[in-house]
Amino acid sequence: MTGTVGADEAVRRRYDVVVVGGGWAGSLLAKDLGERGWQVLVLEAGNGGAETWPGYLDSLSTFYSAVAKVPNSGYRRSVAAPFPDVLDLAPVRDPEPGEREYTANGYFVQNGRLPYGTDYLRELGGAAMHWLGAVPRMHPEDFATNERFGYGRDWPITAADLQPWYARAEFEIGVAGDAQGQRELGVVTDPDYVFPMHQIPASWIDRYCTGLDGTPILDEVADEQYPLKVHSLPQARNSTPNPDYRPGPYRPSSAVGLPNYGERCVGNASCVPICPVQAKSHPLRQQARFPRTVTTATRCVVTRVRLAGPTMGGRVSGVEFRAYTDPASPVGRSYVVEAGVVVLAAHAIENARLLLFSGLANGSDQVGRNLMDHPTVLNWALADERRGPVGPFRGPGHTSGWEVFRFGEGRRRRAPFRIEIGNWGWGWATGAPMSNVATALGVGGDRQGEIRPDGVFGPELRRLLGSTIGRQLQLQIAVEQSANPGNRVTLDRRHRDATGNLRPVLTYDLDPHTRSGVYAARLVAARIFQRLDATDWTNHAPRDGVPPLGHFTHTVDGTTLDLAYSGAGHGAGTHVMGSSPRDSVVDAFQRTWEHPNLYAVGCGSMPSIGTSNPTLTMLALALRSAEQIHQDLVLDRRPADVRPADEAEVPA
Amino acid sequence: MSDPTSPAVTADVQDFVELCVPLTGFSEFDLYATGMAERYLETVRQQVGPDRFAEFWAAWTAAVADGGGPQSLSPVHLEVARAVTYLWHTGAWPRLAPAAHAALRRQPANEEFVVAPEAYVEGLVWRTFHGHPGGAKPPGFGTWSVQPPPQSDILSLRQDLGLGELPFRAGLTAEVALDAVPGHLLPGLRAARYVPPSAVPTAAERPDTSRERA
Ligand SMILES: Cc1cc2nc3c(=O)[nH]c(=O)nc-3n(C[C@H](O)[C@H](O)[C@H](O)COP(=O)(O)OP(=O)(O)OC[C@H]3O[C@@H](n4cnc5c(N)ncnc54)[C@H](O)[C@@H]3O)c2cc1C
Ligand code: SF4
Repeated sequence: MTGTVGADEAVRRRYDVVVVGGGWAGSLLAKDLGERGWQVLVLEAGNGGAETWPGYLDSLSTFYSAVAKVPNSGYRRSVAAPFPDVLDLAPVRDPEPGEREYTANGYFVQNGRLPYGTDYLRELGGAAMHWLGAVPRMHPEDFATNERFGYGRDWPITAADLQPWYARAEFEIGVAGDAQGQRELGVVTDPDYVFPMHQIPASWIDRYCTGLDGTPILDEVADEQYPLKVHSLPQARNSTPNPDYRPGPYRPSSAVGLPNYGERCVGNASCVPICPVQAKSHPLRQQARFPRTVTTATRCVVTRVRLAGPTMGGRVSGVEFRAYTDPASPVGRSYVVEAGVVVLAAHAIENARLLLFSGLANGSDQVGRNLMDHPTVLNWALADERRGPVGPFRGPGHTSGWEVFRFGEGRRRRAPFRIEIGNWGWGWATGAPMSNVATALGVGGDRQGEIRPDGVFGPELRRLLGSTIGRQLQLQIAVEQSANPGNRVTLDRRHRDATGNLRPVLTYDLDPHTRSGVYAARLVAARIFQRLDATDWTNHAPRDGVPPLGHFTHTVDGTTLDLAYSGAGHGAGTHVMGSSPRDSVVDAFQRTWEHPNLYAVGCGSMPSIGTSNPTLTMLALALRSAEQIHQDLVLDRRPADVRPADEAEVPA
Repeated sequence: MSDPTSPAVTADVQDFVELCVPLTGFSEFDLYATGMAERYLETVRQQVGPDRFAEFWAAWTAAVADGGGPQSLSPVHLEVARAVTYLWHTGAWPRLAPAAHAALRRQPANEEFVVAPEAYVEGLVWRTFHGHPGGAKPPGFGTWSVQPPPQSDILSLRQDLGLGELPFRAGLTAEVALDAVPGHLLPGLRAARYVPPSAVPTAAERPDTSRERA
């Protein structure tokens, strides 16, 4: 890459394609089209910096200093291109029955029954700067849940259509995995396929759990016994290259800005929010390999997609954007850039926001609807004291899972779920290990704010912490949420960010099928802990009148449980793909039905997300779209025209 | 010229480190090795005020000398002792019990903060379970596949640290049984992500879903 440029320089050149957003989807697609010789401009709303080594270290240091080490803790807030943070959500104390149990106080306006508990990041590289890098493929079943199990939306394409694109995406981002295990699950079908790198070694916790292989676990909601088997998780993380990979040899990518560094995961155990050595794959790597045909301009917030003249068959002509210099200030200048093809790759929610604001592609009334995530149930327990420590807080966030609950007829009764065997102790649920220190010492006072009488120090503290942290097990269970038109992004002229752009208004809830999945997941985790002789400390009930975020109760067969979920960061569904313009926004190539040269790529196109972390599927789709855009351009090559536009209208 | 055989720190810092051994459960060697001793002493002084810190320090010195340990401290001093220990273990100054915050008439806001990026990295808590700070001091490819060594028992810890019979608990009659750790010494669910670690509630009594239902 030749580095990022400013807006003035960016608009001096001509482009075939303008890509809105320099995250995973935009970066992969831009690189692919650039390599095919097309002139591509990537407009990125956020600031850059992390593509230099000192800039990257600055993010690391910001993370070290953060009290709440949340996904966005390595990144500074921005006024010019604001983004949501999990810190924006607060529970409501003593809610009235039926009252909402949370408030949202950040970038998102939220008015749903339940909170959409997920962030993203508007910085060069996007949300993937703090993603974990779990990249399982989706299962053939996941593409046709309506046809097979009577819920959700079906895809216009199948898993088989995506297999070659999955393989390409796995090469591009660098995936380590055990192909045989994935074949057993039915998600990899090529009998000869191997991943570019050998699987990331299983953690000691995984091995500990492997002791249960073959044990049947009852899921009473599905009314079925599921035999456990631990499966290794494919991950976008540097491991040992597999010499059998074809076409080989595969060379792991090194850190951006520091050659020959980070070519193996060394177990920093902080992939979310930031991998210090960049062994975890992220889009800045793709950007570092951008050919000269690709230009990247940071601090350029796209505000609107422009329609070409009325005689142009619905074609779009380009985009308007606003460039700023200081992320802390809303001051900026407006530009227009024109191109043959416009690709929105700004994240599911931002893509929907741009389409809604531009008044485009919404003949089906589906833009912004079907917002999905993977509601994630946290379960935590202390392993059997007699068997010694399990070694939490080591290695990548999770390296294996229990997969049997993802598939099969049980899906009719409840949403399926994938059990992540956590390697980071009770960190997510309780703020361990720091909160262990606090509670063992007794610092912070009791419920009334009085000084606590009880606590341990010195050798007793050290021994207690060694034992109670050293034995922490956590199962993070990601439940499938299916498309529901009522879960949606809308705009409201009353809610704007500091620069005048309309903020996303979210309406979110979990339907009964999903809630039953959460319920079943919780009970299954309890049974697994019991089989491990672990003490289950999971408790999602309100404490002292404060319901945890994502709290709800759910009743199955007369038994009611207090449950709670966290967001997984997997925003999807908001420009849903389908086989007809009547009920979907984009076609199977992620091209908007109404505007032949406007594409919306990303998880927003996905009609369902199964129980797989969605990014790999999204990237397979993005590569498939790049191929189609290439075909479009070849067929219909228009000269691109670009001009700075002081006179461009600023959105009201 | 300073004495080349003694650590290159002031007598204050030496004294601070020496008496932080019975608070933290780590040796002087370990405490110096964090490189944070001086910074922590400064932080504590600043947070509780120099005069109140001097009073606390005199009380703690006496509690160690007369063999009473933490349980002979006044409630407010007990809370300060906890904060100092929390600082060494996590690199952060905690939120104090509001009652202690008021009694100390503290100027600064009663909020948790990380003293410095390197303080987080030098937290001792990671070493209690043979871990390493998340995002630093990585142990190397594949190390997570191996079971960590067992914990040292309390007797050898006491001996190694030269701590004798001093009781290292307050408000508890006996050492905590590791196979039956009570909920009030464990963290519970964080209701929201912004809740700092020092404000996480203790675990409720042990829930019974698994046992009841199986
Ligand atoms: C904590 C966390 C962990 C995750 N872990 C995983 C995981 O393990 N596996 C997995 O598959 N997925 C994971 N995800 C999800 C994953 O991060 C996303 O699916 C993926 O990053 C989406 O990529 P994207 O390119 O579509 O969008 P983004 O990454 O959001 O990138 C969009 C880009 O567009 C830019 N942009 C936005 N608006 C504008 C605008 N108006 N003008 C110009 N540019 C704009 C943004 O600044 C950003 O750079 C995780 C998410 C989170 C939050
Ligand atoms: S475990 Fe550590 S080195 Fe490996 S990817 Fe995660 S943060 Fe990077």
